[in-house]
Amino acid sequence: MSLSDLINQLVIDTLGSTAAFRGELVLCGTIVLILLSRVFNLTSRVDSFYVTLAGSAVALYLAGPWLTVEPVGGSQQLFTGLLVYDSFTIYFRTLLFFFAVLFAVFTRISGVPDRDAAPDVYTLVLGATLGMCLMASSNHLLMVFLSVEMASVPSYALAGILKGRRQSSEAALKYAVYGAGTAGIMLYGISLLAGVLGSMHLPTMGVRLAELLQAAKLLDGTNMVLALGGLMILVGIAFKLSAVPFHFWCPDVFEGASAEVNAFLSVASKAAALALLARVAIGFGSIAVPAVPATQVAMFSVSEQAATAQGAPSEAAAQTATPKIERSSQIKALAPARDFLARVLAFTAIITCTFGNLAAYGQTNIKRLLAYSTIAQAGYMIMPIPAAMVLAGTNPEAAGAAMAAMAFYAGVYLFMNLGAFAVVAFLRNALNSEDIADYAGLIRRCPIVVVCFSVILFSLIGLPPLAGFNGKLLIFSSLVEAKLWTVLVIGGLNTAISLYYYLRVVKIMTIDPEPENRIPVSLSFIPGTYVAAITLPLVVLGIWWNNLNQFALSAAAHLF
Amino acid sequence: MDESALLENYLIVGALLFGTGLVGFFSRRNMIVMFLSAEMMLQGVSVNLVAWGRYHNDWGGQMLVIFILTVAACEAAIALAVVLTLFHKSGSLDIAIWQRMREENQPAYVDRDVSPDYQPDHQWPKLTPSGIEPKPDLEEITHRAHV
Repeated sequence: MSLSDLINQLVIDTLGSTAAFRGELVLCGTIVLILLSRVFNLTSRVDSFYVTLAGSAVALYLAGPWLTVEPVGGSQQLFTGLLVYDSFTIYFRTLLFFFAVLFAVFTRISGVPDRDAAPDVYTLVLGATLGMCLMASSNHLLMVFLSVEMASVPSYALAGILKGRRQSSEAALKYAVYGAGTAGIMLYGISLLAGVLGSMHLPTMGVRLAELLQAAKLLDGTNMVLALGGLMILVGIAFKLSAVPFHFWCPDVFEGASAEVNAFLSVASKAAALALLARVAIGFGSIAVPAVPATQVAMFSVSEQAATAQGAPSEAAAQTATPKIERSSQIKALAPARDFLARVLAFTAIITCTFGNLAAYGQTNIKRLLAYSTIAQAGYMIMPIPAAMVLAGTNPEAAGAAMAAMAFYAGVYLFMNLGAFAVVAFLRNALNSEDIADYAGLIRRCPIVVVCFSVILFSLIGLPPLAGFNGKLLIFSSLVEAKLWTVLVIGGLNTAISLYYYLRVVKIMTIDPEPENRIPVSLSFIPGTYVAAITLPLVVLGIWWNNLNQFALSAAAHLF
Repeated sequence: MDESALLENYLIVGALLFGTGLVGFFSRRNMIVMFLSAEMMLQGVSVNLVAWGRYHNDWGGQMLVIFILTVAACEAAIALAVVLTLFHKSGSLDIAIWQRMREENQPAYVDRDVSPDYQPDHQWPKLTPSGIEPKPDLEEITHRAHV
């Protein structure tokens, strides 16, 4: 192939991809704008908050399901197969952009990046969000690594954003050290897997793995190398998810960093890491429906415009008919890989959940408590993935429903944790304290915020009629479907355990008497409204949860 | 030398580099050396990838190496910035200083078994102060000439 052919193909491919990628492009443009305002010293005149808000709102509008570019054939490959664009991508991208909008408003109200630091903070936040969008849509191990780093590196800086505070610097150090180590380990795993399978493109790797397993050519050594490589990649993802045993950074970083950064790390970072885990697990455990490369997409549309190629659709149908049989036999051949992944992930989910809930017991600092709570919640959110792995071979629809349960819970979790950290930030502004003991008797001072916080905590426990209950119900029903009884029982027990420490916070806020020497606490109207606005969806989604559930189901429809 | 033997040699070198980096990362306490070890892990990965790329006759491995180098530079920049702020606060590169945040009722890690021939730092002789006490120069106090 000559150079000009290559360049032509590249141009077609890039042009075919940009339409599906415009949300991220808007985000890139916003980052550049904020940086330029810094360069030309316009920060006094241009408020970077409005730029961020506008940028993420436009990105949300362009990438959301209402104005979406339909992925051709259910799933479409962008940029020569580096990214995949399907309904799952759309779901998580919408979630992330929506969170970016809410987060910008939240930081404005709580006022933590002050006017000076605001451009830096917003640049970092948008950059990390961009990395997280790539995490949710990565289809290539290069993209897996790059997107994890794109999300992590800004997060290290964000953790240390309160420059004057010793604790904040300590948090940044611990995060960066942990991140550097796990990134190295993940890369070694990538090099092993990519080397043995001879490709870094996830669907191709799945096919190669299936061929190896079918031909029974795997020597014992190769088997071990593949398992080791898989485990090492999971280490990198587990670090982002703060899954036990790679959670040690989480409580310390959450205690040291400001509550705003915690909200960002616990919601956006976790949702993206879950999507990435799902992508990697599906990549090795199942053969995805062959995605249409962007070059072909462009060509199809050209030929349709010309209305000459009548044979093109039937030809395409004939092409897909033969791989279908091959695909099902390959999926069957991948059963050992799925079994391995399901075991590892189920075990991780169990210990993550149990450890998080047990460690949250004795905490006195609300941020540490919420950090352990996010660890436990990560455990619940991992559970549907092994269920999907178990089901993928026999019942693809149920496997899709399991992934949809994960996506639904991630959507609900956005409101729960954003709300919880918003309350922590506003109370910090009012009380100058983050100790749970100082929240005593707050119900007499700011009843609305306390009621909202209680609703959020009840939802985190999973009590009906709140949205957290529906999320847990979907997750547990996917476990029943997959007959993972051990995981189900331990998940149920954990819900009971978690009751105690969430309710303790509620009890301190409502029943305990107010300390006598406390300065009068008052929260103004706007923070209260914001918290109420974040809490309201939890109640609404608890009763009318069909819409979000349908959206999640359609997101997972093309995965298996 | 045939291809697979060549591959094996390079994989051994890569694994050694990675292993050395990992051991160094876990055992060192100087922050800069820790991050150096982390970089060494990445170099081991790069050797691996280039070797596999040659074995499969595929440029993908080399491409990933270029990205690894770039990302490693970014990570090192952030890490060094953090180290610098920490050094300004404590005047030491020892990572064990930074353990204020931990679980309650968890004892702090202190060095036991300091070897007997350990000399803290050179002890300078002290003069008896006399005359008017000079005004403290803030810059002099915060500036540290030695690590």
